[in-house]
Amino acid sequence: MSEVIRRPAEQMFAEELSKLASADTRERPPSWKLSPWAVATYLLGGTLDSGFEVSAKYIGSRRVIEIAVATLATDRALLLLGVPGTAKTWVSEHLAAAISGDSTRLVQGTAGTAEEAIRYGWNYAMLLAKGPTEEAIVPSPVMHAMRQGSIARLEELTRVPSDVQDTLITILSERTLPIPELNTELRAVRGFNLIATANDRDRGVNELSSALKRRFNTVVLPVPATEEEEVEIVRTRSASIGVSLSLPGEPPPLEEIRRIVTIFRELRAGKTADGKTKLKQPSGTLSPAEAISVVTSGRALAGHFGDGSLRAGDLASGLHGAIIKDPAEDAAVWREYLETVVKERDGWRDLYRASRELL
Amino acid sequence: MAAEVQIFGVRHHGPGSARTLVRALAEFQPDAVLIEGPPDADGLIPLAADGDMEPPVALLVYESASPSNASFYPFARFSPEWQALRFALGRGIGVGFMDLAAAHRFAMERPAGPEGEAPEPADPEPEGAGALPPARDPHGALARAAGFADGERWWEHMFEHRRADGSDALQVFGAVREAMAALRESADSGAPGPRDHLEPYREASMRKIIRAAARGHGRVAVVCGAWHAPVLERMPPAAEDNALLKGLPKARVDATWIPWTHRRLSASSGYGAGVRSPGWYDHLWAHEDAIAERWLTRAARLLRGEDLDASSAHVIESSRLAYALAAMRDRAIPGLDELTEASEAVLCAGDPTPLAFIHDRLVVGDLLGAVPDGAPSTPLQQDLQQTAKRLRLAMSAEEKDLDLDLRKETDLARSHLLHRLSLLGIPWGARGESRSRTSTFHEHWRLQWLPEFAVRVIEAGAWGNTVLDASLGKVRDRAARAPSIVDLTGLIEDAMLADLPGAAEALVTAIADRAAVDTDVAHLLGAFPPLARVARYGGVRPTDAESVYRLLVGLAARFCVGLPPACRSLSEEAAGAMLPLITEAHSAFALVADRVDQVSWHEALGRVAMDDRAAPALGGKACRLLLDAGLLDPRGAGVRLSVTLSRAAQPGAAASWVEGFLAGSGLVLVHDDRLFSILDEWVASLAPEHFLEVLPLLRRTFSTFAAGERRMLGERVRRDAPATGPDRPALGIDPERGARAMGVVAMILGLTPGLTPGLTPTGPEQGASS
Repeated sequence: MSEVIRRPAEQMFAEELSKLASADTRERPPSWKLSPWAVATYLLGGTLDSGFEVSAKYIGSRRVIEIAVATLATDRALLLLGVPGTAKTWVSEHLAAAISGDSTRLVQGTAGTAEEAIRYGWNYAMLLAKGPTEEAIVPSPVMHAMRQGSIARLEELTRVPSDVQDTLITILSERTLPIPELNTELRAVRGFNLIATANDRDRGVNELSSALKRRFNTVVLPVPATEEEEVEIVRTRSASIGVSLSLPGEPPPLEEIRRIVTIFRELRAGKTADGKTKLKQPSGTLSPAEAISVVTSGRALAGHFGDGSLRAGDLASGLHGAIIKDPAEDAAVWREYLETVVKERDGWRDLYRASRELL
Repeated sequence: MAAEVQIFGVRHHGPGSARTLVRALAEFQPDAVLIEGPPDADGLIPLAADGDMEPPVALLVYESASPSNASFYPFARFSPEWQALRFALGRGIGVGFMDLAAAHRFAMERPAGPEGEAPEPADPEPEGAGALPPARDPHGALARAAGFADGERWWEHMFEHRRADGSDALQVFGAVREAMAALRESADSGAPGPRDHLEPYREASMRKIIRAAARGHGRVAVVCGAWHAPVLERMPPAAEDNALLKGLPKARVDATWIPWTHRRLSASSGYGAGVRSPGWYDHLWAHEDAIAERWLTRAARLLRGEDLDASSAHVIESSRLAYALAAMRDRAIPGLDELTEASEAVLCAGDPTPLAFIHDRLVVGDLLGAVPDGAPSTPLQQDLQQTAKRLRLAMSAEEKDLDLDLRKETDLARSHLLHRLSLLGIPWGARGESRSRTSTFHEHWRLQWLPEFAVRVIEAGAWGNTVLDASLGKVRDRAARAPSIVDLTGLIEDAMLADLPGAAEALVTAIADRAAVDTDVAHLLGAFPPLARVARYGGVRPTDAESVYRLLVGLAARFCVGLPPACRSLSEEAAGAMLPLITEAHSAFALVADRVDQVSWHEALGRVAMDDRAAPALGGKACRLLLDAGLLDPRGAGVRLSVTLSRAAQPGAAASWVEGFLAGSGLVLVHDDRLFSILDEWVASLAPEHFLEVLPLLRRTFSTFAAGERRMLGERVRRDAPATGPDRPALGIDPERGARAMGVVAMILGLTPGLTPGLTPTGPEQGASS
């Protein structure tokens, strides 16, 4: 059998999960594979008493993860909000993997997501032959999760049309799924819960109704708090992506990653790292995920077309593309940043020249 | 010593400490209470029992001679010290403050240099006064030892949530004392903190006062910061302390009670012993049970008041989350951290804005205290009165005119005072136009003191204790808050007029911040001239001038890039507003020419001048500025003029261009035949309806010329000879039509009798033609 590109979290980190489960003596909520404490440890990393090292899945604020886990432990649905590229999906997958041992109950929200994707559909051949019966029902991932007592995941909740979103209200507040056609209902097994993710950049797309919003505890995943943290995220992720894409060339030097992260952080924060100069902000989000892709594409350029080592010129095109989302305004922002900050900074001359050429 | 002395080491502004202290005092039954605080203010203690006194209030102790040398000792109702005061006053037992007298402290902290020069203006924020814990953070140290992130949370965990009573309460203080003793032993070997040189004197004074109290009473309760508790217990021989305290310098001090706010109790206001969450502590003090539920309910009600969704269901869910979080962290009940996180996730749906609102209103809070009328007057009032008396300005309700000659020292000081007061929102004097004199060293003021100003003076006391400090503080605050650069540029000039040392720095930083995100070129242009004047004519120290120059360079880079597009698609009004900005920025460049590169400015002007889409008036102006600067030769200007005035151009736009080009001075026309004739031909070629349209514009333009220039131009027209340019091609000119045009030009120039406008020339020219 040929190898899949990426396996689900519960398989990738099966060893860590089983080690944690055996070391975990704390009380577990019904149907949970791990205690809330162990779930938090799985996400944030740590060393078990046995000396086993649990890798950090989420590098960042401990309290964010604690709130998320505590929310799920109190049987409330969790809404992860954040700008694109702040590891919302990543966190939701690992939460589901750690709590239920199954992160595959997933509904991808789109503008075309129909009620059937959240409730259930029908096997029409059987429906015509036998009429509405239990067997004719095609369950959705949410319905599966309700039966199993596991975590269901809904990606990009705000992209789902509002009327479809609202089918979640009964599921979340009553924990039942009515099936009026059969004059029955499905009651969720303990342990069922829902993690939804939404992008707060385009919150306005399909704003949640306040009835639905009330059913969720909202946790905002922030962009990384410190430069060190962000460099670490970009470094580890781009290294692992480089391996899976089998990119040629050397791994990216730390100082290049630091430069990208510095630029992204400064533009995102609207001021320079030393806090002395304010800057205009571009319209893009400049998330760590984008920093990772700038580094990856720079490596690909250097590996396939350059001498294998990552240089300013390889990064410039990636930066240009990541920062300039709006050709008029962002270009001006980027140009101003280049002229006022990059040009003056020691040792950044190469990046300045490479970037100026592209403008 | 016959009396029994019990030391109660407390945490300043800790409700748990306060509660335990009240129980412990009731158990101990003292007949005298000593509280850490300035003994100079003993006389003010009885006012604390006054019915009109409402915490938060602060004891303000200041040096009579220089009120800016002051200390604040704030008390909230949850401060153990306040509760001890009320306890003693309520039972009618003796109560006094104990510490190094402020009289000594001010004298000892005074810089050793010669007196006479005004001391450096103190920071407008209250300093972490002496009664408050030392620069070291003992709670923080203990908290770190116990594995907590910060002292406040640890203390809360250990004491605020503890409900000790009776003898148990007494034991708590014993434990605190032991912990502090251990801490002091390890800390004494460490490097001394900044205020440490006074600490031996402070503790010696405390012991001296305790000894005196012990002589007259049976049971003395001593309430002090936990840090001092161990050394007050082990009493060294009295002679040692007396020797240390002998012959200390002394200053005259005054003290008063002033209203205080929770906001200024918070550490973020710069108050050294501040707490991060005064509102939360007040809540802890006020309620004994269901603290989390009450807190979340208050938060929900607050949000409801702002029309945000916050139902009872929200409160229920957030309290569940808070308890779950507390359980995950092995805490008995939710603390402020858990409550904040729960409010964020449930009540605010992850939105930081309402959360910040909750923090501002609830966690910090705006509770304002009140003091009885009997409290003495504030230092700012006194400073103002003294200054006014020194400058012989009477605070009278009658209107009085004042003409100040700024070359005289007293008049200059008066001007500064009046400018500072207007910055503080106390318009004692209204600035009038200098009437007859054109000199810049005269200022005309109309003075009138209104009774309501007194209230404003007290309000302004929040900014500082002297008029200088207060206006500085106010300017800094406005600088920090001003939403856009426009609000700041005026302020920087006001600050210069008011002679505020240090204000320019704050303003320059603020302008730099706003400038970076301001996209409006007009704002940036407007900021440039005042900053250039600051850089040129002072108001900043040389080191700061460097940063002003840097800012100027940055500003210039930004508006030079933005100028050409900003000059496009402007309405006539907008262009009219832009015109003086460009002119002023251009002359400001001359002020700082040695430090700020003009090349890109000239390039920007060049692009505006050559840009057909630029507003015509601005294009004309840019052309003229370049011509005057010698960067555009007359031939080039001529080409530009003729392009603009060519037949295809709209006459209205062309006239605006001419206005921009010529306004201010017509010398170019006098000296350059080519330009004159191009203009002349254009006017002559206009159709009658177009002529009527542009006539007012042209007249307005020509009326700005100096009388001599107009006469010379007029004479030239009257000569009725075709202009003789050096390389003028011999054209077949129709003299009849030419004469008609000449007559028209003469009329424009005001040379036709009856049409001569009685206009006076304007001020100095904008540079002469090269």
